[in-house]
Amino acid sequence: MRTLKNALAILLAAVLCLAGTALAESAQAPVTINFWHHYSAQSAENETLTNVLIPKFESENPGIKVNAVSHEWAELHDKILVSASSGSLPDVARCDIAWLPEFQKMGVLVSLDEAMPDFKDASGQLLDSAMSTASIGGHYYALALNTNSKILYYNTEMLKAAGVEVPGTLDEWVDAVTKLSGTNANGQQVWGWDEPALSGWNVCPFIWSFGGSLTSDDQTVATGYINSDATVKAVETFAKLAQGGKLTGFNSGDIPMTDGFGTGRYAMMLEGPWKVAELAGAYPDVAYGTAPIPAGDGGSVSVLGGEDIAMFNTLNQDAAWKFMQFMTGEYAETEMAKCGQIPVNKAALTSDTVKSASFAPYLEAIKTAKARPTVAAWSEMDNALTTEMTQVISGEKTAKQAMDELAATFDELLKK
Amino acid sequence: MEMRSRLNRFQLGALLAPGLILFGAFTVYPIARLLVVSFCDWNFGSMLRQQWIGLDNYREVLRDPTFRMVFVNSVVYTLVTVPGQMALGLIVAMLLSGVRRFSVTFRVINYLPVITSWVIASLVFRYIFNTEGLLNYFLTKVLGVTSQNVRWLDSRWGGLTVAMILGIWKGVGWNMVVFLAALQQVPQDLYEAAQIDGCGAWKKFWSVTMPSIRGTVLFALIMLTIGGFNVFTSIKMITGGKPAHQTDTLLTWMYYNAFSAGKFGYAAALSFIMALSLGLMAILQFKAMKNADG
Repeated sequence: MRTLKNALAILLAAVLCLAGTALAESAQAPVTINFWHHYSAQSAENETLTNVLIPKFESENPGIKVNAVSHEWAELHDKILVSASSGSLPDVARCDIAWLPEFQKMGVLVSLDEAMPDFKDASGQLLDSAMSTASIGGHYYALALNTNSKILYYNTEMLKAAGVEVPGTLDEWVDAVTKLSGTNANGQQVWGWDEPALSGWNVCPFIWSFGGSLTSDDQTVATGYINSDATVKAVETFAKLAQGGKLTGFNSGDIPMTDGFGTGRYAMMLEGPWKVAELAGAYPDVAYGTAPIPAGDGGSVSVLGGEDIAMFNTLNQDAAWKFMQFMTGEYAETEMAKCGQIPVNKAALTSDTVKSASFAPYLEAIKTAKARPTVAAWSEMDNALTTEMTQVISGEKTAKQAMDELAATFDELLKK
Repeated sequence: MEMRSRLNRFQLGALLAPGLILFGAFTVYPIARLLVVSFCDWNFGSMLRQQWIGLDNYREVLRDPTFRMVFVNSVVYTLVTVPGQMALGLIVAMLLSGVRRFSVTFRVINYLPVITSWVIASLVFRYIFNTEGLLNYFLTKVLGVTSQNVRWLDSRWGGLTVAMILGIWKGVGWNMVVFLAALQQVPQDLYEAAQIDGCGAWKKFWSVTMPSIRGTVLFALIMLTIGGFNVFTSIKMITGGKPAHQTDTLLTWMYYNAFSAGKFGYAAALSFIMALSLGLMAILQFKAMKNADG
């Protein structure tokens, strides 16, 4: 019994000593910040991050270590939600722009323009349109990291066969979609336009380009915006094409987007930079071109997608802020552009790497593209929008009726 | 003696404990927790602080026009598929009970859809009924009855009908097995007595067969009603609720609210409303069968 006690005492002393030295060391030890992202573990982006960017950042900032953890896209979202409730959040994370309002409402994000005195220096280097995705209720909760958008894809041969020019305006677009629809040489039905869903990601580019909008600029009211004449006209035009069998893709029984475009059943569509690789893999023979989204009274306005880099309420805010500035700086953005990430840093956008990359056509689109409303209730608003669009297309409601009702629903949701 | 019974009680407890603990931790606790969630404002935006809002979630569910629509969808699905499966299953069982040769082969063939994966069966049905699918190819190119592809999946009742056909196709085999077992329990002398009394086949069915298998019919009815309200995979795979939730059923709507919209409180309330309706229906079915007895 005695020996056991002695042994325990010695063990305890040893543990205390170790703990003591550990504490002493940590006083001078570098700060380690945790960075969660969803660059796939095997991707070129992750290679660049771990082998180029982080070593460079650590050498420039001695005393700061970066612990980067890769997650699956959907897993990261849930993991952040769960970590928020258990108080084990990372210091910095790369977030889909659609998640930010949700996280902000949970109160786990740092308001950067209030917390960081040099916020304007950092944000000023980034595109305004991309930074708008981080603005919630008048404050900025992240820096824009990379972006994407949709542009017009058209099947070159189908346009040539129908004698149709690539549409530059929305009037020409309606004409082109109509002329391109019908039956092909095999007697199969073909459609001028493919739209795979009726959510904001799909409908917003038309609403905006027609000169309409979803909410007021401060995102507090929808009445007068989602039911404005321009918005109603956009919805009406879209629905008429769908009813006339010229625009399809959102029905359960429709041909999937890539297959339909690759096999010449859909003549045109709006898609993101990822489509290039998809088509090259599945339909290498299809001849297609790209163009900006046709312009209307609102100009040529596409929808913004992409990622922001956000800071959470942890103790390492200064180190985290340095890392965020580094990741959105010209060097890191140019390196990431080599892997296909569209930069949002204005200086990086002028580099030769970026200009020659396959996503060059997207760069123009991004300059005028808009973000979907950055409000916490967006997913519910998006669902309501889809429902109303469905009812307009099925003929249950007129565009005006549907948008009036949607305005009331949006107003209610925006108040939450 | 005293000591022994105590030991027995102790042993009894020790033997029951693992089962009870598992049951408590994985069945009772989650249900109790879900009940609490259904009274709270719990969504993605309130992950950290859930507010007790009493019956508000229940009110929201019951006032929601989409809930009413998906409830009707589930009721229609159940009203069509349950009698459909039972009638076809019973017919197949009666035909098979008279078969002597190859009876195992016929049983296996009829049972195959039951053991087919829901996901795969749904994908096959989707492939058949797609606008560019097999059925439309057959109608336009082989039979030539129509030149335009029919949009089977794109409307509320179209999509639901396809799911109902799949439900019936997949359920006939199970009903066949259950009814086959019941039919074999019916005493042959009853049929002989009926024969002597001059009963025809129809009269024999209603006066001898049906009363004898009443218990099995009730069992199948309750199980299938619960199954009908629980339809999920086929809807999710075939239409995904499109267009605009018009083909959603109670479970797919609940799933959408919990895991896509993040409205956990609403989804919890919805699940309790569904459980209560199912319980109520089972009681009514029992009562109805008892009354028919007397």
